[in-house]
Amino acid sequence: MTRETDAFSAYHPMINFTFFFGAFVCGMFFMHPVFLVCSVVFAALYYLSIRGRRGWRYLFGMVPLFVFLSIINPLFNTYGAHVLFTYFHGRPYTVEALGYGMTIAAMVVTIFLWFASYNAVMTSDKFMYLFGRFVPSVSLIFTMVLRLIPSYHKKTEQIRGARRGIGMAADTGTTQEKVRQGMTILSAMMSWALEGGIVMADSMKSRGYGCSKKRTNYALYRFAARDKVMLGVMAALLAVIAWCGMRGGAAAAYTPVFFMAGNFHTVIGVTAYALFLAIPAVINFTEDIIWHILRSKI
Amino acid sequence: MAHFEIKNLSFSYPAAREKKTLQDINLTIGHGQYVTVCGRSGSGKTTLLRQLKSALAPHGKLTGEILFEGRSLKEVGLREQSGSIGYVMQNPDNQIVTDKVWHELAFGLESLGMDQKTIRLRVAEMASYFGIQGWFHKNVTELSGGQKQLLNLASIMAMQPSVLILDEPTSQLDPIAASDFLNTVRKINRELRTTIIITEHRLEDIFHASDKVVVMENGRIIADDEPRKIGEFLKMGGNHMFTAMPTPVQIFYGVENSLTCPLTVREGGDWLSQLFEGKEVRERQVPEIQEGRSVPEPDEVKDPAVFVKEVWFRYEKDAPDILKGVTMRVPKQSLFAIVGGNGTGKSTTLKTICDICRPYRGKVYIDGKPVQKYKGGELFRGNLAMLPQDPQSLFVKKTVREDLQEMLRGSQKEQAEQIEAIAQTCEITPLLDSHPYDLSGGEQQRAALAKVLLTNPRILLLDEPTKGIDSFFKQQFAQILKRLKTQGVTVIMVSHDVEFCAKYADYVSMFFDGSIVTTNTPNRFFSRNSFYTTAANRMSRHIFENAVTNEDVIELCRKNLKKN
Repeated sequence: MTRETDAFSAYHPMINFTFFFGAFVCGMFFMHPVFLVCSVVFAALYYLSIRGRRGWRYLFGMVPLFVFLSIINPLFNTYGAHVLFTYFHGRPYTVEALGYGMTIAAMVVTIFLWFASYNAVMTSDKFMYLFGRFVPSVSLIFTMVLRLIPSYHKKTEQIRGARRGIGMAADTGTTQEKVRQGMTILSAMMSWALEGGIVMADSMKSRGYGCSKKRTNYALYRFAARDKVMLGVMAALLAVIAWCGMRGGAAAAYTPVFFMAGNFHTVIGVTAYALFLAIPAVINFTEDIIWHILRSKI
Repeated sequence: MAHFEIKNLSFSYPAAREKKTLQDINLTIGHGQYVTVCGRSGSGKTTLLRQLKSALAPHGKLTGEILFEGRSLKEVGLREQSGSIGYVMQNPDNQIVTDKVWHELAFGLESLGMDQKTIRLRVAEMASYFGIQGWFHKNVTELSGGQKQLLNLASIMAMQPSVLILDEPTSQLDPIAASDFLNTVRKINRELRTTIIITEHRLEDIFHASDKVVVMENGRIIADDEPRKIGEFLKMGGNHMFTAMPTPVQIFYGVENSLTCPLTVREGGDWLSQLFEGKEVRERQVPEIQEGRSVPEPDEVKDPAVFVKEVWFRYEKDAPDILKGVTMRVPKQSLFAIVGGNGTGKSTTLKTICDICRPYRGKVYIDGKPVQKYKGGELFRGNLAMLPQDPQSLFVKKTVREDLQEMLRGSQKEQAEQIEAIAQTCEITPLLDSHPYDLSGGEQQRAALAKVLLTNPRILLLDEPTKGIDSFFKQQFAQILKRLKTQGVTVIMVSHDVEFCAKYADYVSMFFDGSIVTTNTPNRFFSRNSFYTTAANRMSRHIFENAVTNEDVIELCRKNLKKN
């Protein structure tokens, strides 16, 4: 589903991973309100650009989470100069603590959103491609597991279906009968899996597995010119963000008194941060626009 | 120099030292030859093929010698063997190692430690040659059986073997996928000069393409000759394997004549024309209804065993309809066959009959009572039972006996008696104490049938019962079904096996696009079709009007020749 619609995921896995890594780290690190607004907005925007209309549902689900996390913080944290109201014989509920709660909530929502996009973009084979080459045998086991899980699932269904056809359905009868049925199916699955394992081992041996000292790892991805450019751009932006952050451009404090930085470094930092986060969404939108133009020319 | 030379090869498994699985095998296979090895299940075909690749050779006592391109096979390193000797096994599923199609193509090359560039080129080549581009990025679980086996073949061909060994590669595939697969193998043989060594039950598709046919029996080679001579040899010897020969060969030897033996339908047609050249053909028809088969018109059946009435079904609310108004009446004590392409809803029909799938419109009546009215497993106690497509999925215990016991209640003695009786019916008495997975395809089928029959069904549903079974077991299976019918059982069978349906069914229904297009007796059904019909009919239709089975054609030939 993402393959057709998401242009960003067609970039090299390294680019995908670098982006999400940057987005995660910055999202968790920056507490400055302007930075936070950037995080939330762009995370939501990108998520929508992948999921389309169906994304709204997940997005609306984030609202109650945000509200809940925001209002709960002042209950535990009573610091702050401005008291909204008091409860329980004078325990204060402060504006500053509420603000801090909103910050934490925004961070959590951001991470949730980035993670949802990450799952759609960084498929397991991309992850294994990036990190599997350090331990080829582990990456092979991983692909085999990914291969076997669906086939075990299918076989279990097949056995259940076959047994239902002779009146031994696993979902009727007393609990004890159900458990016994379940165990029978499990043990049948074991024999089947072992049997299949032998065939698979033969198939691997017959295709030279273990014959050569060094197994290579084939992958479809190629690090193209546009990947190089993109890596450069991302590295530059991240460097600018880091520099501004160190210079105090993203400094913010909530309790006991609210404070946020608003100097030259903040402006540069926010701009770089926004540009960085916008990369995938921009790629997707420009792609759409280009196609639109191309199509209207035809 | 021969590609493979086998000299005085004998082999015995460690468990049974006295019984030799292979005995005095001598065989020479030349470069680029297409060699078919045939023989009944358990004749040692697989053991022989596995000896040809050291990585797969079973443990045991081996005497004699195998030469590969003039060198002893032992001296050829495993690495070289894995490249130059390709081996495709029976089960399409279990041979696949990785989760993606593209990765599977590269697996062997990765094992040999090739670099990215070489792998990329080879994978691209293979995907193009085998027409895999369309599903190159797919997960292997999304593929059909035929695609899986093609992928296995392609990922072995990516290693550029000079010889390709195939051990019953199409036994799990439907006839159309099987034909496709075997055509691809033939193409490889013709275009790349790859030597092919293949074992198969379905000789129809490969017999005529073979340069050499090897017949095995009890671990020995009893014949090793060109295809045309093999038929004669088997006929003279009265060998069981003769029933596995392609239709034209069987018909040829059923009729006395002195022409050359045809191997394909086309040659068979020419042969018949030649046979009757200048002679008048008076008898053009066989009687439509054969003895012992009472067949009322299917629409007029009173009191049907199963009545499916305007059934509509889909798996999910938004999914397309699978069944679109299926209506059928199955007369009691008949063998009712449903034929038709893949994915047209045949198996789903069986599932609606046994209430595993509930139709959203229409009804199913079993013995006049709606199927939903059978409560709490009553349906499966003495009424209905289904034999699934893969009989293996019915086996859940360590021995066949235990598996049968699972179905029974009552004292030890009663159980033993019942098992004894059913084992006799299904002819599996000697197999009772084996592990179900150790049985051959035909044996598994019968053991599964025994298990299903222990519920004493009056209606038996069979999903592709003849898949992967050799011709000898098919006959045995048909006899069992006949016996059941005389005991009052109604059999509904979904099948791709046109020959089997023509010979043994009482009714044949054509299924297409979610409903039944037509129902008729096999004779009328197949003689009116021109594509979806038996080889015997296709071969003889220009001379005879309604000859459908081999026996029909032979009978008509004999009658006409006698008169002249």
